[in-house]
Amino acid sequence: MSHADFPLLSLLIFFPILGALSLYLTPKPHLAKKIALAIASLELLLTGLAFGLFNNLDGAHFQLTEQYAWIPSLHINYYVGIDGISVLFLPATAFLTLSAIMTSWNAIQSLQRFHFALILLLEGISIGVLSALDTLLFFVFWELTLPPLFFLIGVWGIGPKRRSAAMKYTLFMLFGGVPLLFAILLLAMNHATTVQGLLPKDLCFNLLILLETPVSDHLQLIVFSLFLLGFAAKAPLVPFHTWLPTASMEGPAQITALLMGLKLGLYGILRFALPLAPSAAVEYSWALGILGGITLIYAALIALQQTNLRRLLAYASISHVGLVLIGIASLTAQGIQGALFQLFNFSLISSSLMLIAGFIQQRLGSTEVLHLGGLAKVVPRLTSFYFLFVIASIGLPGTSGFPAELLLIIGALTAHNSLGFTALAGSVLSAAYLLSFTRKAFLGPILQKSLHTLHDLRPREVALLCLPALFVLILGCAPNLLLNVSQVASEAWLTHLMEPPASDPNEIVQFSQP
Amino acid sequence: MDNLVILIPALPFIAALLIGAGTLTGLLRGEASENTTSLIATWAISMSCLLTLTLLGADLLNKNAGQFSVGTWLSSDTFTIDINFITHGFSVRLAALFSLLLMIIQRFSINYMHREVGFHRFFFILSLFSSAMLLLVLSGNAIETFFGWEIAGLCSYLLILYNYQRPVAALNATRVFITNRVGDTGFILGISFSYAWANNANWLNLQSVADQLSTGEATGIALCFALAAFSKSAQIPFTPWLSKAMEGPTPSSAVFYGAVMIHAGVYLICLLEPIFEKAPLALAALIVIGTLTALYGYLTGLTQTDVKSSLVFATSAQLGLMFLECGLGFWQFAQWHLCAHAIVRTYLFLSAPSLMHQVKDNPIQPAPAVLIKQHWLYTASLQRFWLDQITDWMLVRPLRRLAHDLSYFDDKVVDHLMGIPAPAINTISSLAELEERLLTQPVEQSNHQFGQSNGVVGQLISAFANLMHWIEDRFVLRGIGKDAINLGRKLGQQANKFELYVLRPRYLVLFILITLLLAF
Repeated sequence: MSHADFPLLSLLIFFPILGALSLYLTPKPHLAKKIALAIASLELLLTGLAFGLFNNLDGAHFQLTEQYAWIPSLHINYYVGIDGISVLFLPATAFLTLSAIMTSWNAIQSLQRFHFALILLLEGISIGVLSALDTLLFFVFWELTLPPLFFLIGVWGIGPKRRSAAMKYTLFMLFGGVPLLFAILLLAMNHATTVQGLLPKDLCFNLLILLETPVSDHLQLIVFSLFLLGFAAKAPLVPFHTWLPTASMEGPAQITALLMGLKLGLYGILRFALPLAPSAAVEYSWALGILGGITLIYAALIALQQTNLRRLLAYASISHVGLVLIGIASLTAQGIQGALFQLFNFSLISSSLMLIAGFIQQRLGSTEVLHLGGLAKVVPRLTSFYFLFVIASIGLPGTSGFPAELLLIIGALTAHNSLGFTALAGSVLSAAYLLSFTRKAFLGPILQKSLHTLHDLRPREVALLCLPALFVLILGCAPNLLLNVSQVASEAWLTHLMEPPASDPNEIVQFSQP
Repeated sequence: MDNLVILIPALPFIAALLIGAGTLTGLLRGEASENTTSLIATWAISMSCLLTLTLLGADLLNKNAGQFSVGTWLSSDTFTIDINFITHGFSVRLAALFSLLLMIIQRFSINYMHREVGFHRFFFILSLFSSAMLLLVLSGNAIETFFGWEIAGLCSYLLILYNYQRPVAALNATRVFITNRVGDTGFILGISFSYAWANNANWLNLQSVADQLSTGEATGIALCFALAAFSKSAQIPFTPWLSKAMEGPTPSSAVFYGAVMIHAGVYLICLLEPIFEKAPLALAALIVIGTLTALYGYLTGLTQTDVKSSLVFATSAQLGLMFLECGLGFWQFAQWHLCAHAIVRTYLFLSAPSLMHQVKDNPIQPAPAVLIKQHWLYTASLQRFWLDQITDWMLVRPLRRLAHDLSYFDDKVVDHLMGIPAPAINTISSLAELEERLLTQPVEQSNHQFGQSNGVVGQLISAFANLMHWIEDRFVLRGIGKDAINLGRKLGQQANKFELYVLRPRYLVLFILITLLLAF
């Protein structure tokens, strides 16, 4: 293959990062956003190219891999690649970034260059997180997502407590980082002891090798819990979720859309937490399911009580995380594929809803239900898009939410009836909280005079929402387009979990020659 | 002839897409475009109707294969869902009848909705609904039926919302949709159980494997689908949604709750006849619920004073009878009943507006003779047996309260446990500010806490920091008396002298040399 040697993934990671740096060299701020838009569009095309080059039938193996030594003495490599699980996240990330840039077009008036540079930086780093195959490289990218988000929330936030929200977010993420690093180090040391090698020389951070290294049961439990704790803060799972509602209220809407769309925490659980501790994952999948169920119902019930659209969406997003976790915990092919499908859906649906909330915020200065009411009359186009995304979020047939939710529920029911019932209860509740908010905010008579002068969606905003809307409808009618991509990978993922890796120490890669 | 079946739901769907796109882009707007919209909608449904009639003719001449498969819609591991249609029997007959009724109602609405604000919206929803309904009856598997089922439900929501500026319409629509959503969980459960136990959700396959299912499995599947059917066909305890749904324009009430959608539940039960036959408990459920609803509909209908409400309760009662017939095993009879009822009810609903127009203001009617002697029954009938209030009291309100409590818990407990950064206004930005704050505080309360904390982790850290501070304060700092200060001064003087020596150029050069030597 001719494209095998071309470092496409590195390009995807470093192109936006370099682009961010180049924004500083542009003399005029208004030029900066055009450059940022060009870079983000090109990046989207490149991720599309990566998606096109990706071979679905060989989705179980990592493709487009690149490996360079980074810290040779510790065997830490710059090692990136994608498989059927991560490939879909790349275009989603690029798309989210593009829409964040387009939404910020007029909304951001201060420090424009810095703002667009940070968004691009975040994009590059996120793609790094998604494609890293070296645990330490992953960790570095993981922690690097923090600074851009800290500034994006803290500087351009729309709430009065934006600084505090940024600080809260950072503290939560830092808290999550510690157990992650611990788990990564434990696994590396375990590899060294398993091959009976020298400690500094035989440390291993290569994900592919670590996947084959047997881990003793009690260590697996420790590693699994540490990973889970680390990713729970980012996902977010109850009770580590409190940063998301705060961030959604204080942060700028487009950045919250990015935060909600990019489910890096769940990706981490899928990529690291379960496969690296397979027997613990299988044994304690019930705990994962319970955690998912609690998150699903708890957040859905709280969402029923919300009077602010942005806060409601934050809780809805947490509730959906619970649903996805139930799917993962079911450990069935349908559950995993449904989870991946639903994750892709999130990137489209919840971020689009958040963007719409941002549009309302920009026009009215509030998304509180008290200031809304009867929006459908004044902004019919906005309402149409909002409603489409709401029914997709509820999981109505014809939208992409339905096949994902169906797979998740069937997976959950196969694993355990009570998980399935919880998921079904969640689907009723999601209709309840979203539609009752819709009723209060979009339907009924217009009570506020200020609403009469509200401007409907502008062509730029329509264009921005059309793409996800189209995807939602197309995937709703032809879900196999997406399922084919993850089919092989999720089956391999399950097989790996169900059949523990080789226990023969001689088969494991050893760096030091005894 | 079988492949015609794809076009039947597709044509109205295309019409809906065209009208929807036209409305959204502003091409179809106002009275001027009414002709275009109605032309698109009418053509689509008429062609569909012709096609279903052709299909029916072919079926009657035994020229159909019985089913038609298009391909795979979704596949995951061993779980696959096909796109297939039934082209034989009751499904086709019902499709023919429904498409005919849909066509008539659509023609009626063109005049009825003339110059209404939401004319285009109405025809968009009606076309989408026609498509969904035809898909529902013609589809060959449970998931495709569910597709039609849900989209029909969505259309019903949208049409109840037709006057969305009225708070009652909005409230009712939401309530109706969520009530139906509860029934939908039964449908999904039924689909899942069918896959788990019969390995299939194709209607024809389900019918043929019914014999191999154990009684328990058959009962499980049957009860789940029965739950869905009860909610869609407004049986007890879901009945109240039907009267709430009357907010929509009359043609939509006719098409949804008189002619077509309301019968979906009975149709579903009829499809699953072999499975129900295997499950006596499910049959008993049909009998009980059907009888109760028939009685309820009759008694409540007696006290209704407006034409639409009485039609609604009559519909509920008739549907209850159909369920009863199914439960008793008169399947053929129930099917005939369904068709006849659909035709009659369409006529009644469509003539209701002119009836109201002729009668002018509902005349006061005497209380029905049956109820005059039974006061409690009369009250119960007027109150519609408090069904709404009971669901409110049993489900909605506890859920709301739970949500309220949890929300409080989340804000006041979880958030505080997890910690929120102290608001910026409380933190101290300079040492001068700290000094000032300490000075203004009473002496005994003066604490040297610089940082502020909350949350479990934060509290722990601050407790530890306080402890260290205390040790530093009490042992390290206060342990040194005045002598120590003098000693320190002396030491400082010595150090100064030393430094003066060191800073002389020769020593400096020497040091640099030594350093360079050590380095190489």
